[in-house]
Amino acid sequence: MTTVLEVTDIRKNFGGITAVDGVSFDVREGEILGLIGPNGCGKSTLFNCILGQLTPSGGEVKVDGKIVTGMRPSELNRLGVSRTFQLLQVFPKLSVRENLILAGQEHQGNMVSRLFGPSDAGLTEAADQMIGFFKLDHLAGLAAGGLSYGQQKLLDAAMAFMGGPRLVLLDEPAGGVNLTMLADLRERLAAINREKRATFVVIEHNMEFVMSLCSRVMVMAEGKVLAIGRPDEVRANPAVIDAYLGH
Amino acid sequence: MKALRKYRRLALGALVIAGLIVVPLNFNRYGLFILSQWAVMTIAAMGLNLTLGYAGQVSLAQGAFVGIGAYAAAIMTTQGMPLMAALGVAVVLCFAIGWLLGYPALRVQHHYLAFVTLAFSTLAFLVFRNEDWLTKGIYGISNIPRPTVFGVATNRPLPFYYLCLGSLGLVSVAMWWLIRSPWGRAFLALRENPIRALSLGIDTRRYTLMAFAIGSALGGIAGTLYAPLTQYIDPVPFNLSLSLDLLMMVIVGGAGFFFGPFLGAMIAVLLPEWLRFTEGYYLMLYAAAVIGLLIYSPSGILGILDRVLAERRSKAASALRAVAKSGFEAAP
Repeated sequence: MTTVLEVTDIRKNFGGITAVDGVSFDVREGEILGLIGPNGCGKSTLFNCILGQLTPSGGEVKVDGKIVTGMRPSELNRLGVSRTFQLLQVFPKLSVRENLILAGQEHQGNMVSRLFGPSDAGLTEAADQMIGFFKLDHLAGLAAGGLSYGQQKLLDAAMAFMGGPRLVLLDEPAGGVNLTMLADLRERLAAINREKRATFVVIEHNMEFVMSLCSRVMVMAEGKVLAIGRPDEVRANPAVIDAYLGH
Repeated sequence: MKALRKYRRLALGALVIAGLIVVPLNFNRYGLFILSQWAVMTIAAMGLNLTLGYAGQVSLAQGAFVGIGAYAAAIMTTQGMPLMAALGVAVVLCFAIGWLLGYPALRVQHHYLAFVTLAFSTLAFLVFRNEDWLTKGIYGISNIPRPTVFGVATNRPLPFYYLCLGSLGLVSVAMWWLIRSPWGRAFLALRENPIRALSLGIDTRRYTLMAFAIGSALGGIAGTLYAPLTQYIDPVPFNLSLSLDLLMMVIVGGAGFFFGPFLGAMIAVLLPEWLRFTEGYYLMLYAAAVIGLLIYSPSGILGILDRVLAERRSKAASALRAVAKSGFEAAP
């Protein structure tokens, strides 16, 4: 299988504090890698270094073999790397459909064609397909700000898939989502992974969600990789149990 | 229902346009001057509305761009060049300067950005005042000719008003098209959530610069019409107070609303005239009205309308959800 994401010896310092300390891992095509660890262990900082939101203090990130270290998030997104955020990041005044259209528009044409070409260019149809896929049909015309937290989380995830990404990094997608919606979200993510061979990295604290969705799990503690392997291996790892899972 | 609403809006629009064409036929010279000024200031405010209202970038330099456009028109047309040539120069010059002025917006935001643009506004004023060889300094430039458009001389107030109104119409169509294009959505994303916008592939740097450049170019277009409207310009009208007036037009009308600048310019240009009967009190009444409005509705006049419509939509959506829920519960 092709390696989609290759992270080598990534480090990030904030003054005298080392938030990420020489992390290396790779993610293969079609894989779902879970990233777990206690609060403050550097998971989100690692995400932000990979995605260009923060400039790493050292190390290298490759996507499909191409070095992308320090590349801007917008450039990375156009290369097929998408993300969701820990806190909700939808556009509250726009409708669900408009949020999705906005999420897909920069993947078509260039600046000039986006100004002089048709304002829609098939995006409404693509947005409606995504709305149907995430079962948001009855909310399509409503302002995103008026949706429940769980519905906004679903929309946030749907937006990450609008550009047909190769790699999606999901930061706590299950946080604050009720059980029914959580099952929906897991099922939708698994379906996208199955049908479109999309590759994910998922940060999550909900162990059941991670263990049932991910094909491999990486555990971080104090900015370093503590363990990486199949969910059952990680669950049985004494160091992981001691540092994170508990008895 | 949707089609009916659309036709109702179109009919209202046609009525307003017809009113703007027919009603001024009976206006005197001063009335036509004020209406022309409204059209010109609306164009400048539309530019600021794009930069501030849609893209969320504070600017206190719009008055300076009106000044650049006005001086380009005054200098060139008094040398015998056509107003269209001056318009081209003003648009290119303001676009380029606006683009450069956008660079600080990539580093600083909000009141820090306001100070950067304020500094530019002061710099432009000093150039208008001190560079006598070009601008004739405090003596100003007089006898600015009005153009002949499609064989029609616009020397008289009514034809010139129609020129201003036609220009406003063209700019409005272009702006409507721009904000409904993907660029318009990108500007909104820039204002609402730049970090999320970046993660969706939106090049926030380029769109920020574009918002400044296009907004400034519209200021230049307004200035190109302002010079032949007044037929005399000096540096004073283009000091910081014009930028603050334009800012007030955008905020009072409703920043980020298409018709906000139309309403805001109407209030800023026409209301003081309508309040003149109160003699010495008119400025006080005007200021009190603006303060009262902004306390009641910080999102401007159109913000009130938007709030009412949003409440109505929310009630309708709740009713729909309740009907759907009752149907679901009643199902076997």
